[in-house]
Amino acid sequence: MKSATSPGIRFLGIRFSGTRFFTAALLAAAFTAHQAAADIKVGFIGSLSSDTGRSTLRGAEIAVDELNASGGVLGGQKIVLIPADTGEDVTEGIKAYEYLAESEEVDFIVSGSIDDVSLGWIPRMREYRIPTLDTWTSYIGIIDMVIEDPEAMMPYFMNIASDEALATLYIDFGKDVLKGQMGWNSVVILAEDTAFGGAITGLVTDALAPEAGIEVKEIIKYDIATVDFAPIFSKAQNSGADFIYLVSSVNSQVVSSQYVKLQVPMAMTGVNVSAMGADYWEDTGGAGGGMSTLSPVPSVGFKLDPVSQAFVDTYRARYKDRPVMPHFNGFNAYHGVKQAMAAAEAAGGFDDVDAWASNMKQQDLVLELDGQLWLRYGFWGDDEVEPRTGRKYPHNIRFDITEPYDEASPSMVVIQWYEDGTTAVIYPKKYATGEFALPSWVK
Amino acid sequence: MDIGRHHLALWAIAAAGLFVLPSLVGSGILRTLILANYLAIFAISWDVLSGRTGYISFGQPFLIGIGAYTTAILTKRFDVPMEISIPAAVLVTMVGGLIVLLPALRLRGSYFALVTLALMELCYQLVQVIRPDITGGTRGMSGLPTLTRGASNGYYLSTGLMLTIALTAWMLMRTRLGLALSAIGMDEGAVQGAGLSPTRLKSFAFLASAFIAGLGGAFYTHYLGSIAPRALFDITFLFTILAAALIGGSGTVIGPILGAFFLTFLLEWLRPLLPGAERYFVYGLVALLLYMYQPAGILAIIERVRVRLFGDSRSG
Amino acid sequence: MLLQILIQGFLLSGLYALIAVGFTLIFGIGRILNLAHGSYLMAGGYAFFWIGQIIGLPKIIGVALAVFLGAGMGIAIYRLIVRPLKGDRIAVEIATLILAVILQAAIVLIFGSSSKIPHPLVPGVVRIADTPIAWSILVATCASWIILLSLYAFIRLSHTGRAMQAVSMDPKGAAICGIDSNRIDIIVWSISGGLGALAGVFFAGYTQLSPSMWVTPLIISVAVVIVGGIGSIMGTLAVAHIIGFMEVIVTTLIAPELRGVFTMGLIIVALLFRPRGLFGREEI
Repeated sequence: MKSATSPGIRFLGIRFSGTRFFTAALLAAAFTAHQAAADIKVGFIGSLSSDTGRSTLRGAEIAVDELNASGGVLGGQKIVLIPADTGEDVTEGIKAYEYLAESEEVDFIVSGSIDDVSLGWIPRMREYRIPTLDTWTSYIGIIDMVIEDPEAMMPYFMNIASDEALATLYIDFGKDVLKGQMGWNSVVILAEDTAFGGAITGLVTDALAPEAGIEVKEIIKYDIATVDFAPIFSKAQNSGADFIYLVSSVNSQVVSSQYVKLQVPMAMTGVNVSAMGADYWEDTGGAGGGMSTLSPVPSVGFKLDPVSQAFVDTYRARYKDRPVMPHFNGFNAYHGVKQAMAAAEAAGGFDDVDAWASNMKQQDLVLELDGQLWLRYGFWGDDEVEPRTGRKYPHNIRFDITEPYDEASPSMVVIQWYEDGTTAVIYPKKYATGEFALPSWVK
Repeated sequence: MDIGRHHLALWAIAAAGLFVLPSLVGSGILRTLILANYLAIFAISWDVLSGRTGYISFGQPFLIGIGAYTTAILTKRFDVPMEISIPAAVLVTMVGGLIVLLPALRLRGSYFALVTLALMELCYQLVQVIRPDITGGTRGMSGLPTLTRGASNGYYLSTGLMLTIALTAWMLMRTRLGLALSAIGMDEGAVQGAGLSPTRLKSFAFLASAFIAGLGGAFYTHYLGSIAPRALFDITFLFTILAAALIGGSGTVIGPILGAFFLTFLLEWLRPLLPGAERYFVYGLVALLLYMYQPAGILAIIERVRVRLFGDSRSG
Repeated sequence: MLLQILIQGFLLSGLYALIAVGFTLIFGIGRILNLAHGSYLMAGGYAFFWIGQIIGLPKIIGVALAVFLGAGMGIAIYRLIVRPLKGDRIAVEIATLILAVILQAAIVLIFGSSSKIPHPLVPGVVRIADTPIAWSILVATCASWIILLSLYAFIRLSHTGRAMQAVSMDPKGAAICGIDSNRIDIIVWSISGGLGALAGVFFAGYTQLSPSMWVTPLIISVAVVIVGGIGSIMGTLAVAHIIGFMEVIVTTLIAPELRGVFTMGLIIVALLFRPRGLFGREEI
């Protein structure tokens, strides 16, 4: 196998071991070979070359292997996992879903799709009615679709807390730390010009001023293809605010690394999606210190309960390339696939979607650390109203955004990258392993 | 050039074959056929303009996107029924076609290609910036009404649409009008010299192209049930359309169809073998090699095989 | 504020000029638009990253590798795509566009799709008039000016440079005068690729490496060629400043999210009202 090289490999004159290319081919061959013996088919939909997609895929792989090792599911049937690549492209995502549904006829789909890709294949899910679990997108609009049309969205579950919950807890961070501890009174919001940027900006501006008492001086929207952020940082400084609140999901390394390279003399925190992965430090070449970002749980620097820790140990022993640590959605996929299988056991399979869905809603995994609730994988009841945000979250993971977080996992934590490349969770207090820190050049 | 009896028989067999196909193959293949049909429509729309007149448009996704977005916005935001929104989308796309036409009155060659590319990029930017509450911004829209449910219905609809468009385009291109369009591609000055108005001919080609693009885009959107700017105003989408028309055989009607089917099936067949990014690499490489070394397209290969097998009896 | 705009505008424009110059050179010599131009930047940036941050060799080796790789790619594109297509401009455009898409897939294959930030060529920041300036972009701007001026001198003064001019103006006439246009083409294509890859090192050090990073520089180059017309070196420099300053002014004074809209708008307006560009010669 070692001597084999693909035509693509000499292309750039870089000696690149052909293993990845052939592992993929072998993997595919292995899947096809297994299919004959397979009884339960789990499809994976997501990008096979992004950290996001791979986290979900690998979380699902480990869960499937563990379930198979313990004798299979639904009366000893073996599970096979069939990946379908989206390349983070919407149309490819639709094709991938069709492929899983029509050509492979999978029983269940676990997804590591990004927002617009999920939105793309959701009409297909409604048509095929295949039980589907989203582990990455936190788009509240999808939960709204569940509320509007519960029948059509019956097969859909999302086991990450949605935007609304993320932003609400983040306001508390603003109140307790940014205002309470740092004494900051005003903010300039630096948001990318995307739907995600718009949504988070709206939630933060509507609540930050009244709840945390922080004045929003200015909102700067920027184009995601911006090459040079120097004028934008100048503009932020000229606003006279105490700190910058960043909302960035696309190309977020660019803005944060330019912040570091330019040593902008102003504190910056916020949402920086690329800083949520453990590979962030290497990706930015070390230009990532002093950044903090909210992250869904579990995040980098997050203390893990024994069950999740065992998952990470297996993960690390098994996968040597990136992402070196599973992102939050890797955990979601690992626990979520097991829960989906348990729901199928209770419902007698995946065929009766209503039965499966009602059993899925009953799933409740409480993970404890040192005798207290640490993480929880359960779902909101259909008519249950979350008290803080005053709205329903059917088919969405249960979260708790009020201290002392003993009902469920918090929707998010704030993580801090220090200038030596280490990380810690800094908020909420219960989960904190470190302190909020500013870059050394900020006075 | 009259249509021989065997031609008719051949068409009848083909039509019957297409009709019974859903009961013969799995729905996975039908899904691939549907996408191939839509890609064929887009490739024909490109070819009616660029393959004939020589005005290479890099902005076909711009036209398709206008059609797709118009009907998506009308149905989703204003609850307009599809019977009205689709014709409206076609009309709006034709207005878009006139916008593309304007630069073509002054520019040729590379410059025209670039301005259409710029139009596509501009549209991508504008969809995100202007009224994201209506366009759905970067995330686009999901849960649009669909015309059909199930693979075989979608297959019949898309095949019918594609064949109607192909047949209309084919008959149109056999008229003197079609001939004149091709003449523009060869020598615009000579067309003018012959007493024809190149501007009017060009306007016709642009409107016909926009009509097909708008129609295809609107039906495509209601087949997918969702829409996103990155799926439409995108260089990869442009690349697929161009590649389908060119490697199939541009300047013909059957060529773009062949190209579209070849590319779509190539990509689907590679999926189980190469699940990841390798697939796009191989796909692109095949497209480039075919384009470089078989500029007349797959059609020419088929023609050569036919001549070798059956002799040159039916040429022309 | 005004001073800030001036400084930031000059810095960005210098980088843009370096990005676009190879593209205009190719356009000048054969009226060919090389839509794989952005791929030089991508290859250069990734080569630099690979040497410096994966292999761990000194950065200067990364720069050298990037330039050689870019030049090699330029020659390869010329030999394998441009020459076989016998100067059919549209065919070259389509083929190079397909090539760019393939190279994007190749990058995903080798490095994965997550973006990376390479170390800047020259780290650190200097503050002038309260405006932070990264050394890396300052060096890029100076390098860009030095390269463009020496390129200008080379084309004006050297024998090869004059031959390039001759081929650009009248390929047939140049051939009659005994100029080996094939040799000239290879030289121009390798210069274009090498400069593109070098620009990629600076560009990626400033923004990021990602498989789709070729699009932005390509759009910048296209804008420079269209607004400037058939490329003189000085025209490139001038138009890069128009575009660079427009971006900084839009970002600072108007609305940062409209940056891309303005660039596209400029291209379209220029094409419609001055199709030969601001500094274009008559022939297209």
